[in-house]
Amino acid sequence: MSRPPGTPMKSWRSAIWVLPAIVPVVIVLGAGLGSALVQSLGLMPLVGSPVLTLDAYRAQAGDIATSAALSVAIAAAATTIGVIVGVGLALTAVAGRRAALWAGTVTVPVPHLIGAATMGLLLADSGLLARLFGLSEGGWPALVGGRWWIAVVLEFAWKESAFIGLVVVAVLTTRVAAYDETAAMLGASRLARLRLVTFPLIRPAVVASATISFAYTLGSYEVARLLGRAYPEPLPVMAIRLFNSIDLATRPQAAAAAVVTAGLALLAVAGALTVLRRSAVWR
Amino acid sequence: MSAPLIRAALGRALRVALVLWFVVPLVPILLWAFANRWPFPDLLPQQWGLDGVRSGLAAGAPRAFVVSATLGLAVAAIATPAGALAARALDSGRVPLPRLTEAVLFAPLILPAFAVALGLDVLVLRARAPSPVAVVAVLVVAAIPYTTYLMRVAFGAYDSGYEDEARTLGASRATVLIRVQIPLLAPALSGAAFLAFLVGWSDYVVTLLIGGGRVVSVPILVGSFAAGTGNSAVVAALSLAAVVPPLILLIVVARAGRRTGTRT
Repeated sequence: MSRPPGTPMKSWRSAIWVLPAIVPVVIVLGAGLGSALVQSLGLMPLVGSPVLTLDAYRAQAGDIATSAALSVAIAAAATTIGVIVGVGLALTAVAGRRAALWAGTVTVPVPHLIGAATMGLLLADSGLLARLFGLSEGGWPALVGGRWWIAVVLEFAWKESAFIGLVVVAVLTTRVAAYDETAAMLGASRLARLRLVTFPLIRPAVVASATISFAYTLGSYEVARLLGRAYPEPLPVMAIRLFNSIDLATRPQAAAAAVVTAGLALLAVAGALTVLRRSAVWR
Repeated sequence: MSAPLIRAALGRALRVALVLWFVVPLVPILLWAFANRWPFPDLLPQQWGLDGVRSGLAAGAPRAFVVSATLGLAVAAIATPAGALAARALDSGRVPLPRLTEAVLFAPLILPAFAVALGLDVLVLRARAPSPVAVVAVLVVAAIPYTTYLMRVAFGAYDSGYEDEARTLGASRATVLIRVQIPLLAPALSGAAFLAFLVGWSDYVVTLLIGGGRVVSVPILVGSFAAGTGNSAVVAALSLAAVVPPLILLIVVARAGRRTGTRT
């Protein structure tokens, strides 16, 4: 949109138009996370009197640490695969071969719960792949519910790669094409163009979409619940198990696991912002 | 084989692998949705049929679809205009503290929805607020980053010269809104509304935690079947039915966007 030259006047009157979006966000996030924090500190017990305490964190410190490490590992693995496949998808799409891009777009309206269900039917020891390769139940590796959380990682990587790919395609088609042609005319080789033109230009989009995917995976419940194993559990699975427990005394512990998850997501964003600040083409 | 030929072959193999990576995981629900009997070592179902569909219908699928569609429409109806207004204000550059405002608007992308819902549950119970309203509120907040972002991009490419021209020719503010602004922004608005609808349509964890079993949407139904064993056909039938409507909507939105995009 065209603007009059010079710095526009800041006014609190224009802020009115932001209110319909910002008021619900502040209320819902503030009330939800605030209440989780207060509960985890023992200040809002369902039974008994409120006492400020770190017991909910201390009582299960070992389990929280294990779950946090597992959650971060799953999110990191899925995001790594998602970035590699997503950037590959974007590069083929920009080269004019759009079949893979269409296939990726189909996964966008598939909810993670349904993605998990179909991954289970594909990868379980009685799944479609085991049938295809004719392996008996003993010969098929434990992809679902196994030690390495492979089905869980693959489900996230599957959806994330499409998301990252679509975001990067949007950047590539608007900004990179012209620079790439100029570099080619000036005699840059294919590899040099990739390294010196394409990658630096898509870096902010890759970092931003990877961070969103990482944070999403970190806080996702249903995929690990359906395709994972009972112990150890990722933070969201742990939190919701404790939340649904008949024992009301575990509510503060559920809230503690939720608060730790939110904290890890914020740390991931802080890390991503640091990386983005260092990259020259940001802004 | 010469180097260019090898490279072409490699490129084709890579593209086929990419298509397979996205498509193969969807094959099991396509087959299972119409499989009455499919014992283990068989590659294809022994007996095709609609038992899964029938079980889904018997378990209350029609009502769940109404619930999910209502959630999706409610989220789209609130989050789309809210995001559009915020995007317009941010684009004007006159909002105080623009960085902070944007950070707050995009925070729902980062902060885990389950943690928000888990904390909110107690407050909703204590305030005796109706749980469907609370579910919609959380999902609207989850959708606002998407609608704001899409509208932000749209306003970035939007030429307000058309508005000025219409005003100069004597059009009222309301006429400009209805005849100029909304038609020009229609592709972006429908894209934003689609994503917001999707947030409501496909949510699982917020409905599970705050709905407390009273809001039975399609994902809740799928989740309850998927947790048990021997339900593959029902899970697949419900999943397929949940994915096809938004997929059709996506194609319609994409086409509408391209058509209007070339005209303006």
